[in-house]
Amino acid sequence: MASNDQTRAHADSQQALLTIENLSVSYGHVNALKHANLQVFKGEIVVLIGANGAGKTTLLETALGINTPLSGAIRFKGKPIGGAAVDRNVRAGICLVPEGRGVFASMSVLDNLLLGAHNNMKNVGKHLQRVYEWFPILEKRQDQIARTLSGGERQMLAIGRALMSSPELIMVDEPSIGLAPIVVNDIFNILRMLNQEGYTILLSEQNANKALKCAHRGYVLETGTVTLSGTAAQLLDDPGVREAYLGA
Amino acid sequence: MEVFIAQVINGISLGSIYVLLVTGFNLLLLVAMIIHFAYPQVVVFSMYIIWLVLEVTGNNLILGALAGVTSSILLNLISAPLFQKVMEKRGEVDINSTMVMSMGIGMIITDVLSHGFNKGHPIAFPDTLAGGEAILRVGLISILPGQVSAFVVGVIAVSGFFLLLYKTRPGRAFRAIAEDPNGARLVGIPLLKTGLQSYALSGLLGGLIALLLAALIGSASSGLGEQVALKVIAVSIIAGLGNLVGGLVVGLSLGILEAIVQGYISGTWSNAIAFVIMLLVILAKPTGLFGLKL
Repeated sequence: MASNDQTRAHADSQQALLTIENLSVSYGHVNALKHANLQVFKGEIVVLIGANGAGKTTLLETALGINTPLSGAIRFKGKPIGGAAVDRNVRAGICLVPEGRGVFASMSVLDNLLLGAHNNMKNVGKHLQRVYEWFPILEKRQDQIARTLSGGERQMLAIGRALMSSPELIMVDEPSIGLAPIVVNDIFNILRMLNQEGYTILLSEQNANKALKCAHRGYVLETGTVTLSGTAAQLLDDPGVREAYLGA
Repeated sequence: MEVFIAQVINGISLGSIYVLLVTGFNLLLLVAMIIHFAYPQVVVFSMYIIWLVLEVTGNNLILGALAGVTSSILLNLISAPLFQKVMEKRGEVDINSTMVMSMGIGMIITDVLSHGFNKGHPIAFPDTLAGGEAILRVGLISILPGQVSAFVVGVIAVSGFFLLLYKTRPGRAFRAIAEDPNGARLVGIPLLKTGLQSYALSGLLGGLIALLLAALIGSASSGLGEQVALKVIAVSIIAGLGNLVGGLVVGLSLGILEAIVQGYISGTWSNAIAFVIMLLVILAKPTGLFGLKL
């Protein structure tokens, strides 16, 4: 608890890495996000908790540049990026590990990793080396077709691919979905390790318990609106959160 | 036996051209996500440009070749915004609208060719392009320079194409979009820009095909594109739409099949027989021999 408060106090004193202000996004007549607000500070792990269809993926994809906001602002390192093209945002240092791992199943592990560096081919060898140091299994399997990997290995590949773009902010959409509990622990350990290496992480999860235990702060998203936010410890203690997302 | 060998040689050179056509067609299908039914018309248009430049420059082959390749690339790039407009906000191949758009482009090209060039008469290419005399002649078997160049250039172009596809950064992006356009977008691959690269590359292939066709058959008419277009789409469907390796096998087989029918039955029946066989194949395997890669 104390350490979390400290993080928060430290975070408040500096400019946010990612700021989402009053963001609304709609698909036709469906309002997927309604005046959502969120901030991610450098060095944090922030988790976005919400049920299916709460707007988690929409929020992450809009920050990446996939959707054009209806209204509101998105800023990355203070610069407005709402509506900017994905490749520009990736070059600026944002990346997304998509839900369901989204690796290219027919392509080799190496090709998948190199695709992550598509917009940033400088130092590609160095980045590849680092990804292989973190995920030795990927080096062992670099010529294998991604289809042949296990679920956990695919998630590692998707994270490794994101790292290849040399990002500052890694957004991870529901990393635990469809993975065995023991593998989920591995993935959260990896995210924690990457955070200690200096990467800032914005995570969306239905698996609130494990996610909050690894995060500094969290936001609760309900039908497109942020209904609650606080430190991870506060959210873990919150009766509403406990009832709705922790099964307590 | 001599007839057979002679026809297989004819068939391989013709098949090389089908292979290149199907490859360019499939590339647009996989990366730009359009059904470019009129791609062969673009190729025939370039043949006319080659012919025109040869006429004007007194058979300067280098200028003719350059003009052929350039016109094919330009025509593809010019049509790109039209297709893109039709495709707007669509994450996958829209067969209906892109095919109608492409047919329209094809008809315009055919009409322009039949009205604007050589008073509507078929054009004939000079012997300097076809290469003239046979390189080798044994009984009924003869190998013409145009046949050799069709095969050699075909092999080089297809190998180069696959090298690009599997060993380069744009090739990687092509394959990513071919497998999953939305996934490619999430990784930050620009769909529009990469799509344009595929228009340019299939245009480059188209220019080469125009040169080879000119060398191989030595003439062209405004209706040639439409005839070839039917075969290219048939080959692509029979191989499995978007299946590049399938296109290689089926394109080459069609060339050889047509040549053998010509040799043993009658040239006038070769189209009908080829299409009957393709009909039977598609009845047996509706998704194509090698499976869809869409």
